[in-house]
Amino acid sequence: MAAASVASQAQAVLRARLCDPGFVHSALRSSPDTNYSKLKYLVASSISEACNNSVLLLGPRGCGKAAVADMVLEDLKKEHSDAISVIRLNGMLHSDDNCATKEIARQLCLEHQLSFSKMASSDDNTEFIIDMLRECGLAHKTILFILEEFDLFAQGKQRLLYSLLDAMQSLTSQAVVIGLSCRLDADQLLEKRVRSRFSHRKLLFVPSSLDDIQRLVEHLLIMAKGSSLPAKYITDYNSRLTNIFSDKKFKGILNSLMDADATTSNILRFLFRAVSYMDMESGFLSMESFLNALSVMQRQPKMDSLQDLSILELYILVCMHRLEDKEQSSYNFTSIMKEYRSIQDAYKTSDKYASTVCFRAFEHLLDRELISFGDIRGRNQALEYRPVKLLISSRELAQSLKLNTTCPAVLQKLFDRERYM
Amino acid sequence: MSQPVTPRRTTRSSAGSASDPASPTPQSKSMPKSTLRRQLIPAAAAAAKDEEEEGENDRSTVDLLLEALPGRRAQASDLLRLLAPAPALPLLLYGGAATGKTRALLLALRHIRPRPHRVAYAALRSLPSPRALFASLLSQLSPPPSSSSASSRQRVNDKPSDFVAALRDALAGLCTQGDAVYLVFDNLEVVKSWDKGTQLIGLILRLHDLLRLPQVVLVYVSSATPDAYYSMTGSIEPNHIYFPDYTVDEVRVILMRGHPNPKLYSSFLSVALKPLFRVTRRVDELGAALEPLFRRYCEPLGDSKVVLDESIKRRLFEHIQPHLAVAMNETFSVPTRASVDQCNDTGGKASTKRQFGNRDSLTELEFHMSVSAKYLLLSAFLASRNPATLDAALFDSTGGSDNHKRKRKSSQASMNMKDTMVEEMLMKGPGTFPLERLLAIFQCITSVSEDSLDDVESSANMMNGSGMTGLMSDVLLQLSTLCNSNFISKSRSCPLEGSARYRSNVDQDLALKVSTL
Repeated sequence: MAAASVASQAQAVLRARLCDPGFVHSALRSSPDTNYSKLKYLVASSISEACNNSVLLLGPRGCGKAAVADMVLEDLKKEHSDAISVIRLNGMLHSDDNCATKEIARQLCLEHQLSFSKMASSDDNTEFIIDMLRECGLAHKTILFILEEFDLFAQGKQRLLYSLLDAMQSLTSQAVVIGLSCRLDADQLLEKRVRSRFSHRKLLFVPSSLDDIQRLVEHLLIMAKGSSLPAKYITDYNSRLTNIFSDKKFKGILNSLMDADATTSNILRFLFRAVSYMDMESGFLSMESFLNALSVMQRQPKMDSLQDLSILELYILVCMHRLEDKEQSSYNFTSIMKEYRSIQDAYKTSDKYASTVCFRAFEHLLDRELISFGDIRGRNQALEYRPVKLLISSRELAQSLKLNTTCPAVLQKLFDRERYM
Repeated sequence: MSQPVTPRRTTRSSAGSASDPASPTPQSKSMPKSTLRRQLIPAAAAAAKDEEEEGENDRSTVDLLLEALPGRRAQASDLLRLLAPAPALPLLLYGGAATGKTRALLLALRHIRPRPHRVAYAALRSLPSPRALFASLLSQLSPPPSSSSASSRQRVNDKPSDFVAALRDALAGLCTQGDAVYLVFDNLEVVKSWDKGTQLIGLILRLHDLLRLPQVVLVYVSSATPDAYYSMTGSIEPNHIYFPDYTVDEVRVILMRGHPNPKLYSSFLSVALKPLFRVTRRVDELGAALEPLFRRYCEPLGDSKVVLDESIKRRLFEHIQPHLAVAMNETFSVPTRASVDQCNDTGGKASTKRQFGNRDSLTELEFHMSVSAKYLLLSAFLASRNPATLDAALFDSTGGSDNHKRKRKSSQASMNMKDTMVEEMLMKGPGTFPLERLLAIFQCITSVSEDSLDDVESSANMMNGSGMTGLMSDVLLQLSTLCNSNFISKSRSCPLEGSARYRSNVDQDLALKVSTL
């Protein structure tokens, strides 16, 4: 069916856009005085003036630091294709110095078409790096080091950072070090000698405001004319979309999203979901798809888990809650069982089960992480005697008991009246 | 009768396998779950174009998927929409145990269009270490050439950086055609318990950013909720799909599938399912508990095929009622030869015996222990539960506690102290005792029992001729047997003396059972 294929084509186009960080942030290229332009100016000037520089990009996760760095690199590569070479390191993988030097040597070899031997020792690698830096400096070629997760490099002895920044101090080298980190105090983590060699340039990335996000959403979802889709479809789609954007409900959706997390990656997730919920027959996005996407993103996992419990497991949770209310500082499975039996004796419900069955229900609760052990597993103690604690609040428990349709009335009474017993 | 056959569990995969289009035949009902999974994976990845589906619209795909996954309409449609054309953001499926996450995912991977080029599945529960995980993934993505066994040993890498580099190379080789490659990480929560687990989890969850390959889609399956994966420095969150537990009706539909005798089974389920559902909601545990009950349910019918009407149903219900009460108090039952014989001969007697099922536990011990082992176990229990200072009072030479030594202090302070002591006992659990104390208590108990037995003059007693030595012999052998069966465990030795200390692991119910000789 033609309509179905148009819809699926459109969906594919939108999804590809949302997963491509280059496209997502490409609007920044045109706007002035953003971090992108500052970074580009910094790096371009150090390339053209043949000097060394270092800069830190700091900001919470998902704000576009890596994307901006990539965009700057792409632009610079187009302008000065011969004059730069890029080395990328990641703090999660290469925080160990030997790994890092090996990786740098490997990437240098790759760039300059040299053969890399895996058996080279770390001293060999370090010598090679220093030689390469000198050579590149003499050839007026700038090496750009991109260090992602910069704060992880700052753990331990910081040998790599020191050697890099130290090598940059010599006259012959031309290098720029760009560090990306989600810790806003990443420069405070540096040692004194490293910090003194570091130019204290920092670019701060903040989560966007509502207007920025609105503009971003329009940029991502509005389709330009001239793509492979039929023109009539594009005009219909765009007009519907602009109607939705001007609707107050949509602004409400964006506001509630931003209340939780205003970073770009959160918005991207939301849009991805909304695009996946596109009505495949007509091929248009509707307010419903956005509303569905929002409701899915705002689930509360613990409340969902509480709805999935069996009656016996609810009994155990209520017993634990009563024990906590009685101000017992620590309790374990045997005390819970004692409370359970006293309840059964007092109320004579039909839910009296053996100790092994209760223990199995207890283990299910541990698996779901609604309760957990209060001590670190130090002593070799049986599970029944280790202290446990509740990981849900009493309000959540109260709400889940109300929502549970099969919950016996006795449980509700026990929960409510425990303060008077 | 003949050897009792341990019945196989009705796993949910075998219960659902009957209506699966490409599933194995119902004869292999007892196929374990992992084999079914392994069959699904190459089927998902196979570019077999012989499965032609005319009119490839979403509706028929969703219907096919729903037939195989009862009660999972929303999740199935979500899966199909979020996975389908690459590129896609990473996906996290979470829900309780036995809710059908892996099964739904693997079936969905078979049904999505366009077909994935390769599916690499990392079953984290069966992998012991990060190195095994890396090796398994890399071998699935780029199978090593058969001739070189030495080079494949070299390629087993331990460090994350090497792994990511090798993964990127392998994936770049596969993605050149433009088809999607899916990486599935199952049971992600077990990584937390590995050595350096938190770093590895961070690495796995950020693979999407590290690899930057648009044709690779990452899917995570976990039974822990997403807030278990939030780390201090944050990470990019994947899209979530939540799998709630099944409701009673859905469980009934699942258990009914493919059953040879639907009417009988449905009448059985209408009786037995709801009470068991109050105890646990997991399908695998319910299936395991319901199977022996169903056999018991069908007993009065014998072999005759009768038409079910109300009177027969009532009769069957009365027959099953006492067994149901017992089954609710058991976690699993291993039928021993004696109980099977008993049930087969004395149908009526067994039912009256089972009437006691509404008490907490049966009064008989289900396995055999020698008398000296029983005494040893009891002395260990006493040694663990009572502090050493009470020994003199309990075990003095008159064979019992002396009445006028007990002080009559029923003031409030002593009552409070007693309460706190009782609570402390509950909290701390069994204490440790040295070997000498155990032997001393054992000697006391057996000497007392010797006297009482001589009074009673029972002749049919195994200790008849041997006297005290009969019980004391091989006591260390008995002790080691009890330790091996985990009734007594060895705890760390006392730092001052260096002698071994033991701890008793039995609870009061078992001790009571043991003590009824």
